[in-house]
Amino acid sequence: MIDLAIVGAGPAGLSAAISAAENGLKVTIIDEFVKPGGRLLGQLHEEPDGKWVNGITEAEKLFKRAIQLGVIIKCGVSVYDLVQLDSGWCLYTTGSSIKAKSLLLATGASETAIPIPGWTLPGVMSVGAAQVMGNVHRVKPGENGMIIGVNVLSVAIARELQLCGVNIKGIILPQPSLIFGNASNPEKNMESLLRLAHLAPSPLIRFGGKLVNPKLGARLYPKNGFKMWGIPIQLRKAAIEILGDNQVDGVRIADITATGEIVPGTEKVVPVDFVCIAGGLTPLSELAAVAGCSFRHIPQLGGHIPLHNERMQTNLKGLYVAGNITGVESAKVAMAQGKVAGLSIAAQRKTSSNRMDNQIQEAIENVKETRRKALIQFQPGIEDARSQLYHTFNEYSEAKVSI
Amino acid sequence: MNSMRVDQHPVLGNMGQRQKLKFVFEGKQFTAYKGDTIASALLASGVRTLRRHEDKGTPKGIYCNIGHCFECRVRVNGQNSVRACLTPVENNMIIESNVSRTMTSRGGKV
Amino acid sequence: MSEDQTVICRCEEVTIQEIKETVKQYHCSAREIKLRTRAGMGPCGGRTCRCMIDKIVEQLGGPSVSNEVSLSYRPPVRPVSFGVLGGQ
Repeated sequence: MIDLAIVGAGPAGLSAAISAAENGLKVTIIDEFVKPGGRLLGQLHEEPDGKWVNGITEAEKLFKRAIQLGVIIKCGVSVYDLVQLDSGWCLYTTGSSIKAKSLLLATGASETAIPIPGWTLPGVMSVGAAQVMGNVHRVKPGENGMIIGVNVLSVAIARELQLCGVNIKGIILPQPSLIFGNASNPEKNMESLLRLAHLAPSPLIRFGGKLVNPKLGARLYPKNGFKMWGIPIQLRKAAIEILGDNQVDGVRIADITATGEIVPGTEKVVPVDFVCIAGGLTPLSELAAVAGCSFRHIPQLGGHIPLHNERMQTNLKGLYVAGNITGVESAKVAMAQGKVAGLSIAAQRKTSSNRMDNQIQEAIENVKETRRKALIQFQPGIEDARSQLYHTFNEYSEAKVSI
Repeated sequence: MNSMRVDQHPVLGNMGQRQKLKFVFEGKQFTAYKGDTIASALLASGVRTLRRHEDKGTPKGIYCNIGHCFECRVRVNGQNSVRACLTPVENNMIIESNVSRTMTSRGGKV
Repeated sequence: MSEDQTVICRCEEVTIQEIKETVKQYHCSAREIKLRTRAGMGPCGGRTCRCMIDKIVEQLGGPSVSNEVSLSYRPPVRPVSFGVLGGQ
């Protein structure tokens, strides 16, 4: 039996493995993707000072350090079941089964779909799929595309695709509909665009971002959109239908009012050979559910979150979580959380050690600091939502002890 | 080398030399490079349709590209339910689907 | 294609219309939708469509999203061949 099994070789899993191995633990990581690095692999962006952050390089640093410490990393292996043992956990995989005293789930997030007529055609893919195709596999998802859904990912990936030589004709809202809720409301989208404004290449948008009230902004939003890197971001147009016979050949769009109603008579077709759906991210917590974890539904964190505390411990003995499974944030936060998890798990092995407690507290503070320094706040209220969750966990644990 | 490949990239650099591989998809020969997944190799060759829906016959390609949605499942060297987006191409791989066997237009039954 | 014909469950090609009609007829939860329409029963295990089904059910007056995960995850959460199940 090994000390620690980790599901997910992304920034959280790799960082946790490093911290645990630095403290003498035997660690194995399993990941179903073809190479280690998780979704960090596809990330590529320019910081305001002009420096490029290359996810492939960052992932390689983590991977090399982990290997140096004796961590075993198995890629191309899927976990299909797990079971709690008296002394730990057993993972059932498409390779061999793995028994470990502690288990860390660092499975990240999956993309939330936005269903649009025609979205099952070949050529329509999640925006993350396009990022992986372009930056990881170095194949263009198409020549001319449109991105449906206005958020951090759609704007960042539009730029990444441009760098791959792809022409992005626009980033547009989905058609107003009963299931999209805020995704198709220009005022709500204006709010989230304003949180990104400080990253905009144009000083006009940067400056304007600070002054615009979302309601006013949505009303005054130009009909032809604001351009970032030459790509129009449209809050006053919506995608009605994706067209094509055997694959995508166009998108039917129409103008919408500031409150999201379609303006009759404004429909037109934009020819494209691929479409990206950008609906946001949801924690991928299925293994935590199979394990029997309790959950809390927290929209600010992206959906159903396995109940856990600041030390990344869940309510099940020996089961930990780190990274986007705990709530959607950045790769840097995932790495910081991974470190906390690795240290927490190592601390369990050793008989009371003040030094480990101090390290863990420092690592927890580092997560908060990383979050505060982040250039992009994915959602407002993340810090508060997390504090509340940890409070809930403590109450839950106390309640169990008192029975 | 074809135009769908991003061999040169202003930040990520140039791909450089890679070993050429060949594989068969639905009876047709294709070329790939070492490191390609089945999905990326086919997309680089302009093939988007990887299978058809088992009842409705509608064409399907990749959707998530990271193994979550199972839209890209194909039969590889006799094994079913293999995700094209997660499987590296190996030389002389035989990949089958049901693309040619179900009907050609969208909707309706065979 | 009208909005009602939009596919929600990609694996089983279940449309918005089918789900709406089922909710209206049976006033049911997301879990019951899965049993009555096959939505969520395909190879992806509901991973792609569960959020949408939750939202539709909620919008149509069904139970709102609670802390409990609405569609249970039954192992195996990845399709496995008998060879893998038996051999290890």
